[in-house]
Amino acid sequence: MKILVADDSRVMRQIVIRTLRQAGYDDHDIVEAEDGADALAKVSSEQPDLVLSDWNMPNMTGIECLQALRSSGSVVPFGFVTSEGSPEMREKAANAGALFLIAKPFNEDTFKEVLDGVIA
Amino acid sequence: MSSTDTGERRRSGEARPVITELIDEATVQSIADDAWTALVGEDEFLVPIAGEFPGDVLSSWVDVVGPWTGTVVLTTGRETAAGLTRALLGDHAPAELEDEDIADAFGEIANVVGGNVKAALPGPSALSLPDVGHAPAVRNPADVCRLEVLWRGEALSISVQGALPALPVPHQH
Repeated sequence: MKILVADDSRVMRQIVIRTLRQAGYDDHDIVEAEDGADALAKVSSEQPDLVLSDWNMPNMTGIECLQALRSSGSVVPFGFVTSEGSPEMREKAANAGALFLIAKPFNEDTFKEVLDGVIA
Repeated sequence: MSSTDTGERRRSGEARPVITELIDEATVQSIADDAWTALVGEDEFLVPIAGEFPGDVLSSWVDVVGPWTGTVVLTTGRETAAGLTRALLGDHAPAELEDEDIADAFGEIANVVGGNVKAALPGPSALSLPDVGHAPAVRNPADVCRLEVLWRGEALSISVQGALPALPVPHQH
């Protein structure tokens, strides 16, 4: 399985990747994207099986990336990992077609809880 | 002209809440504790004691724009910010940290703390991308919720501060 991790913070991408490993998802290929536009391009070039994306990013936000993906017909499973976990953000994410929203801060248990049904 | 709009009625009808009416230090401490445990390390604690700041400090912050508009600012010594960066990077920390690494890591802590402060405030609000440098000035001393803590014995503050000056007091008839 290939997982695309999109976050404008390199440190946060590393923390997400580390947490994936700690949660037991350590045998997957990881691809990194540094903003929404990069993620959009890499969904096309890398064909990931899952996208884990930050919400607030320069160039293109995570939600704009998701909307662009869905408009182009992509059905790639997409979830947010973001510091904004308010009910309104969760609703917005779900309406745009996101499978889940993991709020920062998170730990490996949060990842397991949410991703066990998504990552085979 | 009796209908001249002086703005007085509009201003008095739009009382803007100050942060102390919306959030308290205990909530900010709880948000910061969760961020520290998850990001910095499971055994990392913020002790609610005010410490002494060194001369060379660094701040990171995010803006919240909504029914309450202001900034969530973290400030600590530059060396402490570097220590936080090493803790976040863990085994991936380079031998020599670049300023860019510190800006990224310290900014991300402000992003996580700020995002959770935003979630505790009335919405809808927008959150900015994090910034790092000299702390933005306090605009209205009454619109500040400030927490001072120690991390590994070093002073660190979290200031949730309004970005707008105080509204004029409505004229009493």
